[in-house]
Amino acid sequence: MAAPTNSFKNTLIGYMTYRGKEGHYAYLLHRLTGLGTLLFLIIHIVDTATVYFIPHLYEEAIGLYQSTPFMIGEIGLVFAVIYHGVNGLRIAYVDLKKPEGWNINSQEKGVRFTLILSTIFWLPAALIMLRALLMYNFGLFGG
Amino acid sequence: MTTMSKPKATYESVAWKWMRYSGIALIPLVWIHVAIQDVIVGVHAIDINYVAMRWANIGWQTYDILLLSFAFAHGMNGLRQVGMDFVHTDKARKNLSIFLFIFWIIVSAIGAVAIIAGARPDLV
Repeated sequence: MAAPTNSFKNTLIGYMTYRGKEGHYAYLLHRLTGLGTLLFLIIHIVDTATVYFIPHLYEEAIGLYQSTPFMIGEIGLVFAVIYHGVNGLRIAYVDLKKPEGWNINSQEKGVRFTLILSTIFWLPAALIMLRALLMYNFGLFGG
Repeated sequence: MTTMSKPKATYESVAWKWMRYSGIALIPLVWIHVAIQDVIVGVHAIDINYVAMRWANIGWQTYDILLLSFAFAHGMNGLRQVGMDFVHTDKARKNLSIFLFIFWIIVSAIGAVAIIAGARPDLV
């Protein structure tokens, strides 16, 4: 096989056009939620470190997190953290304890189960955070 | 089932195991952190005095050091693995790994110094 002329583009095309259905979606969602959480984590470590290095900046960082776009992002972040954990546990369990579970039938069931379980864990947290958003930023519920 | 001799551990096989075991440890570590800070306390109740109070407690300091070590190492190795999908030459892979390793050390150090030294609300 000829060496790819643009490996970055070729990998992206592979990500998008591979037709592995459930397993493919879980793979993409696992990577997206992981990279998204990591991006937030890097910002979060640095902004929290200002409490020691540049204390007066911390208030501004927190002010940004309290804004409406960031609070909506936070609700998404919590889904990413929950999904990545539930799906990661599925991967770790099958890899370490049940490698024969890597077959299409188990995969399809497992992927659907992780999505349902993640949503069940996420919904109450999302509702509490949505309530806080409406309360503090829109004056609802006596805020 | 045939018996096979165990393959020798390599850097990548250790990293592979690390992602699974650290991932399992991160479920309670991260979920409890997120449940407390984002859901129960909420971002509107957090300020520098809150952080100072938390890091005056050696239990929470230890918790946050563990969180920083496990989560950030897991995340950076995950990023390295994704990177390996996009760059294919040995040289580019080595350069990417070195860059990510240095970045990981620097950001981890910044976070660890802040957790250990604590917040300085008196300077605001």
